[in-house]
Amino acid sequence: MAPVAHVEEWIDECATIAEIEAALVDLRYRHSHGGEPDLRTSVLTHLAWVPPEWQEAAAETLAGLGERHPSRTLLLFPQADEQDELAARVSLECYELPGIERHLCSEVIELRLHGARAEAPASIAVPLLLPDLPVFLRWRGRPDFGSPVFGQLADIVDRLVVDSAEWPDVPAAYRELVELFDRVAVSDIAWRRTLPWRRGLAHAWPELPDRLTGPPAETALVAGWLDSRAGIEVELERADTLPVGGDRKPSDLLSDELDVFVRDPVYESSVRKLAGRP
Amino acid sequence: MVTQSSATEAHTAENPLAEGLELRRRPEPCVLAIFGASGDLTRRKIFPALYALAFRKLLPEHFAVLGVARSPMSTEEFVASMEEAVREFGRDEFTNEAWDALARCTRYLATEVADEEGEDRVATTLSGLDEEFGTRGNRVYYLAVPPEAMPKLVEELGERRTTNGWTRLIVEKPFGHDLESARELNRLLAGTFTEDEVFRIDHYLGKDTVQNLLALRFANGIFEPVWNRQFIDHVQITVAESMGIGNRAAFYERAGAIRDVFQNHLLQLVALTGMEPPIDFTAEAVRNEKLKVLKALATPAPTEVVRGQYGPGSIEGRPVPGYREEPGVASLSETETFVAARLEIENWRWADTPFFVRIGKRLPRRETTIAVQFKRVPHPLFEDASELRPNVLIIHIQPNEGVSLAIGAKVPGEGMRVRTVHMDFLYGGAFRTGLPEAYERLILDAMLGDATLFTRADEIEEQWALVDAIVAAWRRDKPAFPNYAAGTWGPQAAQELVEWHR
Repeated sequence: MAPVAHVEEWIDECATIAEIEAALVDLRYRHSHGGEPDLRTSVLTHLAWVPPEWQEAAAETLAGLGERHPSRTLLLFPQADEQDELAARVSLECYELPGIERHLCSEVIELRLHGARAEAPASIAVPLLLPDLPVFLRWRGRPDFGSPVFGQLADIVDRLVVDSAEWPDVPAAYRELVELFDRVAVSDIAWRRTLPWRRGLAHAWPELPDRLTGPPAETALVAGWLDSRAGIEVELERADTLPVGGDRKPSDLLSDELDVFVRDPVYESSVRKLAGRP
Repeated sequence: MVTQSSATEAHTAENPLAEGLELRRRPEPCVLAIFGASGDLTRRKIFPALYALAFRKLLPEHFAVLGVARSPMSTEEFVASMEEAVREFGRDEFTNEAWDALARCTRYLATEVADEEGEDRVATTLSGLDEEFGTRGNRVYYLAVPPEAMPKLVEELGERRTTNGWTRLIVEKPFGHDLESARELNRLLAGTFTEDEVFRIDHYLGKDTVQNLLALRFANGIFEPVWNRQFIDHVQITVAESMGIGNRAAFYERAGAIRDVFQNHLLQLVALTGMEPPIDFTAEAVRNEKLKVLKALATPAPTEVVRGQYGPGSIEGRPVPGYREEPGVASLSETETFVAARLEIENWRWADTPFFVRIGKRLPRRETTIAVQFKRVPHPLFEDASELRPNVLIIHIQPNEGVSLAIGAKVPGEGMRVRTVHMDFLYGGAFRTGLPEAYERLILDAMLGDATLFTRADEIEEQWALVDAIVAAWRRDKPAFPNYAAGTWGPQAAQELVEWHR
């Protein structure tokens, strides 16, 4: 990965959208090379809904992601308190580009939504989305699929990225997930994690095992896949690790998902099978 | 014809688990036999490309490489030399796992490549590799041999082609040295191989940024409506190198810039810039459209072609010798190291819209660009319009791959002064994965049987027809070489070609 050349930062405990936008422009112009500001090249807006218990994991996943996917990252941290404020930290992570003096910058906007602000996140996110570029929403933890907050955000994004391995109630939760498929394209990092496993099984076809051993979400998804693709039912055995390919970093897995722009019919039919839906 | 998508469908029908797993880009079992394996190309390009494919697990599961050349060497020595080359020229980190996977299936055979006895030995060795690696008689022959060895080699390979597998030939440039020799080579190839078995390589077509030119044109609704004589004033294509000829004097003295770069890379860039939208992105559809452009290229008048040869000068502050002082070059050599021309594509889209092209060695910097200059606004509305240049869309093929657009913008403050500013898109900035080397893509495509990015026989012949016509005019006069100093943008006359148009 390219070295970080510099990080610029702006913080306000009680910010407005206009101030955040002004800060983004100001930060870009702080460093310039021969009168030319740093470059902003964006391929998407990456929105993340991060409840407090997922904060640390989210920060770890995001490290280096901006360098791989030049984008505007909007981190929404809901805060369960009485205040009614929007606290913002805006930063510009700028990377060196080989052979070029100007740096390439990714924008990261961290927003703490206090009190009632956490009930209307879409009204805060929409003005900050980059126009005409795809919007990905990474929802940490188990979404409350029926909640107004989830509904608001699902309606403003092109793709929802979840990790069903973070959910305590799979495969039951897939019954709620399938309801979303016609509303928003869904990526599941647990599904991505099973890719080497599925490749191995596809290469082994038609010599398949009659038992799958691994973590609950991943084994359920692979079982749904075998059933939906080939009508094969297998037994499941619980284990903490995947038989193959379980060593990829969360940021690599998310990075792969950010390259996908279309619905995944194979995933959807696997989940439908698990949910008992045609 | 089995297309890639229908092949994928067939694969899915056999194996219901294959869909969505991107299994299709893994080629069938085969042996890659490299003729001319002791040469620089194998070291600098072919093996680093094979390593990159091995690193990404894109090589066939059952695969072998056979290096064939005259140089006496054991397989162990060849493998050691290739490991050194991969460490020096590879774009990926060196891992023992990837290298061992490739090295285990690599063999070397020291033999004459263009005679019967040598080819018998090659055929026997290949059969042995089929048994050892399960490569099922499938062959990719990479012909990286001097032009004089090509006809005999093609003939011998044709006689020994296997009947129990497929055969593909990757033919390196130069493909002939004029129209007649190219036709002869095409006839020879057609005698034993079908056109879809022949992959004439022009590595420029394997570059991601060259393919991005097609994406820019045909995946964006805003460009195609203005991509014609009505809105475009002219196009400038530059293929500039700051390097000299290195140790290629023997080849370069015979070929010159026109055969080395103009005949292939440059004319392919003209074709890709000027072609009509193909009906799909299949080999035949793309090549049909390129061919139409090549056929529509008028032979430029002698006054519309400038040739040059560099004299002594400086590159990046360091003195460099003139072409005639390079080792191996005749002291009164008349070989050109620079060509500029005004080309006209005579069709409805491009009539009266010149394509100014220039290629050369020892120019100030290495750069390949396509600059599309749009027409000026019809009426200067704002004050001091002299500072405002027409819109130019510049496609940077190398280095700093990307696209920039020059637009007019108001200078802040009072009045209405407009200045030209650049909007830049850097390919490497938006997509932060390393760009694959052209040879990786092309070798993989040949193994997969996808000829979209290779040049067809009729394209090659049209390219040579134009070059022959230009060279014929050169024979009538004696050039006053050298006529540009190393480190400059070529002879003044080349600049004047464009200035006359303005």
